[in-house]
Amino acid sequence: MVQISLPKNSKIQKGKYFKDKTGSKNIRKVNIYRWDPSTSENPRIDTYEVDMDNCPSKVLDILNKIKNEIDPTIAYRRSCAHGVCGSCAMNMDGKNGLACTKSHAEIKGEINIYPLPHLKVLKDLIGDLSTLYKQYDSIKPWLKNSKNLGDAENLQSKEDRAKLDGLYECIMCACCSTSCPSYWWNGDKYLGPAVLLQAYRWIIDSRDEDRKERLKKVADELKLYRCHTIMNCTNACPKGLNPAKAIASIKKMLATS
Amino acid sequence: MKNDNPISPHIQVYNWHISSLVSISHRITGVINYLLLIFTCFWVISLTFGSESYQYFKIFSESIVGKFFVIGFIWSYIFQILSEIRHWFWDMGYGFELRTTKITGVVVILGSFILTIVLYLFSGVVI
Repeated sequence: MVQISLPKNSKIQKGKYFKDKTGSKNIRKVNIYRWDPSTSENPRIDTYEVDMDNCPSKVLDILNKIKNEIDPTIAYRRSCAHGVCGSCAMNMDGKNGLACTKSHAEIKGEINIYPLPHLKVLKDLIGDLSTLYKQYDSIKPWLKNSKNLGDAENLQSKEDRAKLDGLYECIMCACCSTSCPSYWWNGDKYLGPAVLLQAYRWIIDSRDEDRKERLKKVADELKLYRCHTIMNCTNACPKGLNPAKAIASIKKMLATS
Repeated sequence: MKNDNPISPHIQVYNWHISSLVSISHRITGVINYLLLIFTCFWVISLTFGSESYQYFKIFSESIVGKFFVIGFIWSYIFQILSEIRHWFWDMGYGFELRTTKITGVVVILGSFILTIVLYLFSGVVI
């Protein structure tokens, strides 16, 4: 269901202001979405003054600095800090991305950081992705092959292997799915770009024997065709992949098979 | 999980891109065009009943409100057609690169305005 405005309990209030204590002349204001599950208060935006003279280049560095030096209560996911694990996916400056690869110099003015859009918030910048993981599970993201090869390798031609380029690199950070308006309004039924790109990754794999069944499963008005090529997914992908194209390829396969 | 967890802000904070702007406009003009079919019906009816009845339509279309209506009508149709052509290419699997979508998006937006002006001026000459 399309719901433009936020429900009552999600309306954002003005939060606390953390003034700089270092006396630095190079200050940036960072506005961060906060919500504490242990209270019954609405989410709020806290503003932090951050000393940029002693801060490395990425948005994640700012968050680490705030957590270490200003306010240890702030919660966010992070792990590898090198754009590989996908944990620190969030909405920065109005666009989804990985905090560890997003340079704060690219952002003009105050830095606004929100959780990934249209998710149930667990705490601060942490959104609940369990629906997305369930959907990922539903496409059976593993190779289905009945050949008994023993110890031999399951070989693939160079051309067939090349078909997986631009698909296998996906780290499932959910930047694309949570940037998609269709996924916002129909996230319970529509699979969303991340899961559909993964579905295509197995459909197009020459070693997989379940192509027909996989195609039949995604060929659904809501699961697949809620994609209206808005292109927010491709705009958001921090790995430079193209989920919109993958979805179009599935549609094309269905139309021509 | 508790059901009273808040929902993170979405459309309130997400930046507009050219592609998303064209996409929502495609939808809106689609609905407008559908409703404007009624207007087209009146136009055709007024024609079939001869010049006298067409005078009413002419008076309306030459008033300020009418002009706004007609120009809006032309723009809405042209936008829909151009955007639909973009969708055809997508359906065939072309034009998904980010740069291409940006360029084609701008072409649709600018093209719709330019063609509207051209068509309106041209129709003025004909009528």
